[in-house]
Amino acid sequence: MNRKITAIAALTLGLASAAVYAAKPADIIAARQANFKVIGKSFKGIMDEMRKPAPDMAMIKASANALAGGSSKVSGYFPKGSGPEAGAKTHALPAIWAKNADFKKSAANLVAASKKMQLAANSNNIDTVKAAFPALGGTCKGCHDQFKAKD
Amino acid sequence: MASDSRRAKLWDLPVRLIHWSFVVLLPLLWWTAENGEMDLHMTLGLVMLGLVVFRVLWGLVGSSTARFASFVRGPITVISYLRGLSKSESETSAGHNPAGGWSVVLLLGLLAVDVGLGLIAQNVDGVTGSLNYLVSYDQAEQATELHELGFNILLAVIVLHIAAILFYTFVKKDRLVPPMITGSKDLPTAVTTPVMAPAWRILPCLLIAAALTWWVSIGAPTSLEQFNAPPPVDASEYM
Ligand code: HEC
Ligand code: HEM
Repeated sequence: MNRKITAIAALTLGLASAAVYAAKPADIIAARQANFKVIGKSFKGIMDEMRKPAPDMAMIKASANALAGGSSKVSGYFPKGSGPEAGAKTHALPAIWAKNADFKKSAANLVAASKKMQLAANSNNIDTVKAAFPALGGTCKGCHDQFKAKD
Repeated sequence: MASDSRRAKLWDLPVRLIHWSFVVLLPLLWWTAENGEMDLHMTLGLVMLGLVVFRVLWGLVGSSTARFASFVRGPITVISYLRGLSKSESETSAGHNPAGGWSVVLLLGLLAVDVGLGLIAQNVDGVTGSLNYLVSYDQAEQATELHELGFNILLAVIVLHIAAILFYTFVKKDRLVPPMITGSKDLPTAVTTPVMAPAWRILPCLLIAAALTWWVSIGAPTSLEQFNAPPPVDASEYM
């Protein structure tokens, strides 16, 4: 029984990783841009509430959760071959792979800042959210300046 | 100029100051956007908003040559003016001619639209215009694209504007630029002297323009509660 489960688990894992490798670069690029849109929307969701006299903490929490979810996926969306050489329209710069350690660090910074934002949102205190916001925004700009082509 | 002309005041100080401010501001706005100086870009954009609002108000109560009512003409007047352009007639009225009047409306209108779009625009770093929070992410995306397109259209119209001025200067031998700098021009005696607005009128126009701009810059609050809320998070904190 246990063996069977292990075998199925191994098979599933194998298939799943094979699926990632088999995915066309264009599909990966599209999925990664959709993920960044989710990040952008939830980022704006938090910012919009902060501007209101009576911010909706539930909205902030939902946005912070979506933001953290999207952020944790970022680094996985940049396999080798999904840069400008893929032929699909992308703003990803070759520097992502040339300086991959720096890029990974940038992505990790985003994950950390988005988790802090989640904690801040759960505190139910808008001032805590506001305090966590600049650091989060800094991670976007920090990475885009180095690794994303301008429009 | 021949003896049948005299020197008269054509463009008042507000018109000239605003005009040359546009000429300085627009390249700066472009440069700050290109170089990611978004904080300065937004400040200058608000200055542009204030200038456009002031110019519109001045178009209602300013000197005769600044007023829309004096230079916005119907299509028939414009067409017959354009037909007569090839003849070497001297000017029959002071101020913007029937074709130029519409280019003023076009230039001011495009500036106003583009400033408006900028107020709701956003970029990928989460830097936003002061009214961005009033629209959805997708609406703001569209506005941002139109904001860029609007600038390019504006550029095209400015090229036309400058070409027209060169045409008058070199073909019609009517030098338009010096009066836009000094304010005065030699006008044929047959042309009625422009009426300059009293200087005090600048004050109420300035106050209204400044108040409106400030209100927009704090997010255009519509209730006292909103007004008293702490200011929005300043993007410059993380830039
Ligand atoms: C680790 C680097 C990195 C971080 C951190 C990062 N981004 Fe990005 N972002 C990119 C790259 C690279 C692209 C271009 C992706 C492409 O075109 O394939 C991008 C694209 C985008 C886009 C455009 C998506 C589209 O194509 O429509 C948005 C919006 C965006 N990011 C928002 C954000 C926000 C908001 C944050 C911060 C909360 C953030 N990003 C943090 C690297 C990053
Ligand atoms: C940023 C670019 C420019 C913008 C947005 C702009 C806009 C305008 C506007 C709105 C007017 C109407 C003035 C008023 O009634 O308030 C005007 C008039 C005028 N502009 Fe410009 N302008 C620009 C660049 C220039 C340049 C570079 C020159 C010089 C070559 C110039 C010369 C003039 C002149 C001479 C007039 C008066 C035209 C007339 O006599 O009817 N402009 N411009």
